[in-house]
Amino acid sequence: MLANILVTTLVNGAAYAMLAVGFSLIFGVGRIINLAHTAYYMLAGYSIFTLVRVAGLAYVPAMALSILLVTVVAVLCYKLLIDPMREHETTVLIITIALALVFQELMLKYFGGHFRSVPGVAEGSLSILGVQVTRQQAITCAVLAVILAAVWLLLHRTRFGLAVRATAQDMEAANLMGMDVSRIATLTAAVSAALSAAAGALVAPLNILEPHMWLNPLTIILAIIVLGGMGSIKGSIYGAAIIALSESLVIFLIPQGSFLKGAFSLLIMIIVLLIRPEGLFGVALEGER
Amino acid sequence: MLEVKNLTVCYDTAMLLNEVSLKVNRGELVGLVGPNGAGKTTLMRAISGLVLWERQMKRGTRAGNITLTGEVYFQGQRIDGLPPHRIARMGLVLCPERRRPFSELSVEENLKAGAYRVRGRRAYRDTLELVYQMFPVLQKRARQVSATLSGGEQQMLALGRALMTRPVLLCIDEPSTGLSPLIKGELFAKIGEINRSGITMLLVEQDVRQTLAMAGRSYILSHSKIVAQGKKDELMADETIRQSYLGL
Repeated sequence: MLANILVTTLVNGAAYAMLAVGFSLIFGVGRIINLAHTAYYMLAGYSIFTLVRVAGLAYVPAMALSILLVTVVAVLCYKLLIDPMREHETTVLIITIALALVFQELMLKYFGGHFRSVPGVAEGSLSILGVQVTRQQAITCAVLAVILAAVWLLLHRTRFGLAVRATAQDMEAANLMGMDVSRIATLTAAVSAALSAAAGALVAPLNILEPHMWLNPLTIILAIIVLGGMGSIKGSIYGAAIIALSESLVIFLIPQGSFLKGAFSLLIMIIVLLIRPEGLFGVALEGER
Repeated sequence: MLEVKNLTVCYDTAMLLNEVSLKVNRGELVGLVGPNGAGKTTLMRAISGLVLWERQMKRGTRAGNITLTGEVYFQGQRIDGLPPHRIARMGLVLCPERRRPFSELSVEENLKAGAYRVRGRRAYRDTLELVYQMFPVLQKRARQVSATLSGGEQQMLALGRALMTRPVLLCIDEPSTGLSPLIKGELFAKIGEINRSGITMLLVEQDVRQTLAMAGRSYILSHSKIVAQGKKDELMADETIRQSYLGL
């Protein structure tokens, strides 16, 4: 039981963390709440499905190609639709939710509402700590962890990462240091979308594809972001771990409780909003004129 | 080196700068003093490109209804209309009001952010060493998160970060606000030192006495206009200016 909870937490938590980190990045740098963030996750799933099932590519190249494609689409959306409206926060919310719906309807039109699935890279299962883990789960979890570590290194060990963190904290001061904040925001939008697409691509073999699959992770990452603190990368990772753990607890400890997991995450979100609105690692946005 | 010609800035219906002209020559330390709300900070923001950037960011809203007319030249090149990062890359660097450190970054990361445009590890090391020499406290606090520094230390950090960009002309906006007299004295000494090291400076200050004493020339900005300029003695010789603007 305990081991089951741990494994589920790890796999889900890593995927949530990746989605939440991407969401936080573009919020921090661009002050953009991108409700279409998980739509990129869905697009990557369908893109892999098409490339593998229709075009007959192998899973790994299909994955790489899908991430690339979705990132290009996302950057175009950012440049053409989101960036020009950036200063109007409500408009950005409307635009991004509309984008997500457009993608959903397009998928419905071309793929129908049927559940689809994507084959994984590995068959069979192995036993870790006495729990049966499918090889696909283990590989997904490991790759997610590697990517998360790479993001951390990118943010903390490179010049671009420093510029991203500086811009997220004070856009004007970043400008004064000679940083081209709008270029940094565009690059961040690309990284953010690539993370969402990668999460989608990696999780695709474990999940069922259907056109509404973006909605549930979106509500969960909103809960994670609120819990961890808006714009905080560290907060996103801790938040993802906590939400994933509480979800697995609900699934495994409450009899037939799996339908309650979403409600439970949102309950956590409401409690955090009541007690500590800035979240675990959030900072009040100050010093902006 | 810097020439501002008839700069007028309006935010919506409020005129914050009215036909302001000023000049800073190579090597000078020029003071800019004046009462609260005179437009000193707006002038700094206009020169460094932040006013236009703000207009760009707030376009389509009432707060974005900003007009800027007039000309700004830096090293012979016209810079009004350039985005702030381009102006900073040319060597005109503003050390902003309220210090504005990247508060979640450590002291060393803040300095590294300042050196964003400095190419080469060696150039970075050398500049860092110079900054640490000038402000030893920054080296002592290198790993500390900058939000936890005291006000004086944060100002040192802001200056150090600005120096890391290797500026040609350094504009400093109200560095001494909120500091104790002792720290203030230390800070002004450092500012003089930076100027003597060959960096031209435009210093905006509330502390009129100190600024006039340090600056070769000073401008007095009041109600969005330059009302007087000159050396300390010239300004002090005029009874009206001395009493109504300088309060000395």
